[in-house]
Amino acid sequence: MRVVIGGTHAGKRDAVRAWGGTPCWLEAASLLEGPPPAGDLVIDGWAAWIASQLAGEADNDRLRARLAQSLDALRDAERRTGATTTLILEEMGRGLVPLSRRQRRLRDLNGWLAQDAAARAAAVYYVWHGLVRRLG
Amino acid sequence: MIAFISGGARSGKSDYAEGLARQWRDARGGGLWYLATARASDDEMAERIDRHRRQRGAGWETLEVPLALDAALNEVAPGETVLLDCLTLWASQWRYGGGGSDAEGRDLLARVLAEARQRHIALVVVSNDINEGLPAEDGDTRVFVGFLQTLHRDLAAEADLVVQLVAGLPWVWKGEGP
Repeated sequence: MRVVIGGTHAGKRDAVRAWGGTPCWLEAASLLEGPPPAGDLVIDGWAAWIASQLAGEADNDRLRARLAQSLDALRDAERRTGATTTLILEEMGRGLVPLSRRQRRLRDLNGWLAQDAAARAAAVYYVWHGLVRRLG
Repeated sequence: MIAFISGGARSGKSDYAEGLARQWRDARGGGLWYLATARASDDEMAERIDRHRRQRGAGWETLEVPLALDAALNEVAPGETVLLDCLTLWASQWRYGGGGSDAEGRDLLARVLAEARQRHIALVVVSNDINEGLPAEDGDTRVFVGFLQTLHRDLAAEADLVVQLVAGLPWVWKGEGP
């Protein structure tokens, strides 16, 4: 599993496309509907998924654990099949603390997701203004 | 030579960029130009501009360029050195202060970079990272960030030297720093 993280409009998708291959691109929310297709995957839209879950789950720890379970399932499937799964994550933790509780929760959960994904990933890449650097 | 210097607020971008421009000018000779995109729209902005001017010290030819970057570059002789500070402010003035469409702004920046190359002008461009916080609630701000990021990606792709400043320390992404 590999993680590609960067700010909005940093060029993350272009960076993944430049790696080539013909992966299946999925929105993270689709993982709720059932197991992903076989083969190489690129999974985007994590912040939107988190945002859609906030109203239905008030407990941050439970929501983080649910996201971590999804990451575990993706990693296990990748190990079984030998395919490559790429997670595109958005860096959004470098501004002011938001005034609204909902936005604070979104930012927190997005940051925890990035930490949990990076801990499980074989490689982590940071995209900054279209340039790509491997962090670990 | 083209350099792109970016980072967060008060990360040391301007100091680094000024030092780089001076080094390039000292190595190449010729004039040292400062293209200031800032306008003194209120007291705080005037104080900010004054602080930057004091920090830069003597030896700079300053042009105030809220919009017409291409016209300003025409004032510069071939082989001279230019510091443009900063592109974020220019982009907001272009978008909200009568510049033109986003596509025209992107074209203008491309022309300026091409012109600098063609006339062997050493150009150092400073901008701000504003895309790593929570996405703005209002759509117009999100579109502005998208516009600025298009400029940043174009600039990073074209520049010979790309440096991110963090807490005053340079992190070189492309090329070799001084």
